[in-house]
Amino acid sequence: MRFYAFLLKAFASAAAVLLGVLALLVTLDVVLRNVGLGTVAWVNEVSEYSLPVATLLIAPWLLHRNEHVRLDVVLASIPKTLARALERCCDVVGIAICAVFIWYSVRLIFDSSRLGSMVVKTLAIPEWWQYALMPVCFSLLAVEFARRLRA
Amino acid sequence: MTWWLAALVLFGALTVLFLVGLPAAFAFFGINIAGAWFYLGKDAGLVQLIRNGIVSITSFSLTPIPFFILMGEVLFHTGVAMKAIDAIDRVIWRVPGRLSVVAVVAGTVFSAISGSTIATTALLGSLLLPQMLRRGYHPNMAMGPIMAIGGVDMLIPPSALTVLLGSLAGISISQLLIAGIIPGVVLSLMFIGWIVLRATADPSLAPAFEHEEAPLWERIKPLILYVLPLVLIFVVVVAAMAAGWATPTEAAAVGAVATVAVAWIYRALTWSNLMTALLGTAGISGIILFIIIGATTFSQILTFSGATNGMVEAIREAGFGAWTVLIAMMLVLLFLGCFIDQVSMMLICLPFFMPLVALYGFDPVWFGVLFLICMQLGLLTPPFGMLLFTMKSVAPKEIEMRQVWHAVTPYVVMGLFALVAVMLFPPLATWLPKLLFK
Repeated sequence: MRFYAFLLKAFASAAAVLLGVLALLVTLDVVLRNVGLGTVAWVNEVSEYSLPVATLLIAPWLLHRNEHVRLDVVLASIPKTLARALERCCDVVGIAICAVFIWYSVRLIFDSSRLGSMVVKTLAIPEWWQYALMPVCFSLLAVEFARRLRA
Repeated sequence: MTWWLAALVLFGALTVLFLVGLPAAFAFFGINIAGAWFYLGKDAGLVQLIRNGIVSITSFSLTPIPFFILMGEVLFHTGVAMKAIDAIDRVIWRVPGRLSVVAVVAGTVFSAISGSTIATTALLGSLLLPQMLRRGYHPNMAMGPIMAIGGVDMLIPPSALTVLLGSLAGISISQLLIAGIIPGVVLSLMFIGWIVLRATADPSLAPAFEHEEAPLWERIKPLILYVLPLVLIFVVVVAAMAAGWATPTEAAAVGAVATVAVAWIYRALTWSNLMTALLGTAGISGIILFIIIGATTFSQILTFSGATNGMVEAIREAGFGAWTVLIAMMLVLLFLGCFIDQVSMMLICLPFFMPLVALYGFDPVWFGVLFLICMQLGLLTPPFGMLLFTMKSVAPKEIEMRQVWHAVTPYVVMGLFALVAVMLFPPLATWLPKLLFK
């Protein structure tokens, strides 16, 4: 249990540090360009790729802390037993959604790596790298929904 | 399936998922899975759903979002924001309803440096509200301005939600950010006018109290020390975008790093509070962007089901006038704002609204500002406006939700006035960007 909480926090912290480093890199690029020392061509691209990485890294931690935006006022205004039943339904739907995301992202990763698809801009990276965190994130989200279901 | 039936089923199911309390992002994912299966080609559609998810948020136009949020988080967690508010508190005196006016002015300054509306409300609420209540301010006088100015944060750049709107709607982000300045400032002035008027008419609402006497320089020094640098960061960020020296992302990153540097110069920065600020930034950005994962697929489903085209065609054939359509769109936004969050509002409405904007030839920047004002009002309108809950969470326990609603009402009315004003006088929104982006 403690390892699980640690893992979620570690992922979230990685997202936080990534965004901080990104701000520094983009600033460095602007400064270098304006003092005539050229530009760091890959900065734009790396910052683009970092957004999904940071988002997927922190999503399970946010669910763990119940911070994802949801309309919980209806639940608060109906009888407790009914609200609890609805919450359980939500958890089941959540797990089902995660299962679809995990299954199809794993398929996409395998297909893409088998075909050797590349994304070529300034940097050339294997296309499947972009999707690699998807099954990890949604597995953790599924675990979180399952934990709620048991609670 | 006819387009209207498809739309009814899609939005009906989305509403149910929202109502049962599924996180907004998952509500969209659920609809997307069903929609991708039916409209985007079963298996292939679901693979496309994953691809789209990553594509939706792999965008340079979205990267200003975390940086703008970082600016506010750093000021908040290092305590620099408190020093700035204290400095503003010292230079405003002999004004009826002084502390409420301080809240509006501080909120406006803080808006100009923070990309997060909730942070502004939480900060002002936890800092100024106890003080006001202790001084005998009427709760309406104390809570109303704080919530109202938190909403204005969305209009005054830097604003994370403006960036998102520009990115999703395909409106120039720099122009949209700058277009929000005048309506934002006008709203702040209206709020101050209202506070002064109310406090003058009924001084018991905001009892005057002795403010410590201090020489002029002593009053102004903290302002120069703690507020001026923040205002300078704002000016540099906006000027860099307007002059084309930097993209919004670059301006935002430089602004964020400058904010960290300022906190460091004040000796307010520690590793611990920097990490807390970064974690807060990643959290708020994550909440927004996780919903956006569903954006591309959702709009594709609306297109492939015929809902988008069907609705636009039906409106065109009905021959409605431009004003009717515009007002209808605003009413839809105001209605949705009472119930759902701003990111979901954009996801639901933009696929329908932007084709109509093109059809009727509305200025996209002007329309964007109207959209922003409606979203800002959505933060304040009962029953589910997010800032109402933020205020409730920082207010003393004896304050009931009903009282929070009551406190915000005049400011919602003023927001509606502002909406109508910008509708009738588009230059309120478009003059500044036109001037700066010649």
